[in-house]
Amino acid sequence: MPYGSQPPAYGSQPQPQPQPGDYYGQPAYGYPKNSLGVWSLVLGIVGIVLSCGFFAGIPAIITGHLARKAVAQGQANNGGMATAGIVLGWIATIGMVLLIIALVALVATGTWSDWEYVMDNADVRG
Amino acid sequence: MRGPALAGGLTLAATAYVALVDPYRPGHYLTCPLLAATGLYCAACGGLRAVHDLARLDVVGAWDMNPLLVVALPLLLLGWARWLVRSWAGARRRSTGSDLRSSLLAWAVLAVVVSFGVLRNVPALAPWLAP
Repeated sequence: MPYGSQPPAYGSQPQPQPQPGDYYGQPAYGYPKNSLGVWSLVLGIVGIVLSCGFFAGIPAIITGHLARKAVAQGQANNGGMATAGIVLGWIATIGMVLLIIALVALVATGTWSDWEYVMDNADVRG
Repeated sequence: MRGPALAGGLTLAATAYVALVDPYRPGHYLTCPLLAATGLYCAACGGLRAVHDLARLDVVGAWDMNPLLVVALPLLLLGWARWLVRSWAGARRRSTGSDLRSSLLAWAVLAVVVSFGVLRNVPALAPWLAP
């Protein structure tokens, strides 16, 4: 057990009740796995902010599901944050896949040459 | 043991690919859609070129492309080593403060990535931060 001498939780009985003013950053006793949800949300946002989103988006989905499991086991109370992370992670991942498909289609159909002025003005290399 | 080994192996393979297939020459990789559409640099811009340079031990070249990546890589390597040692030694109990520290680290990562992405598009800072 990560905190004190509390016995393990049985079944789905939640761990200690939320205290007033409790949120993600409060002391770790009570909800020792809240950081999973925070990581999920942060990775989800980073996945959207970076245009190559799936490097952060896929970890956001994974940590989000781990966080929701922790919520179900009473070890975390930030399920909303985890859900937001999962949704953002999926948007980042699917958006990236769609963008790649669109780029490949643009190049394949020759439409890309219309964009060449962009490539002349900006340094468009990986 | 399997997690860190898998992550390390995939990263090595990807790094070898970027080291061999030159991202400085156009046509080898897909153009960044954000850059192509808006001309803006995101926080990851220049990342492939930086990895290519680092794999060839050209730290200065990598720094010119993406300084954040050059700073972050040793930290990521340390974190991975810690992960490896811990999973090798078997599951260890987490200390009481580690969850809070982890949350704070997550928010710090978000702040650093977002501000780096914004700052490198500021013309006055572009010579240092833009690729």
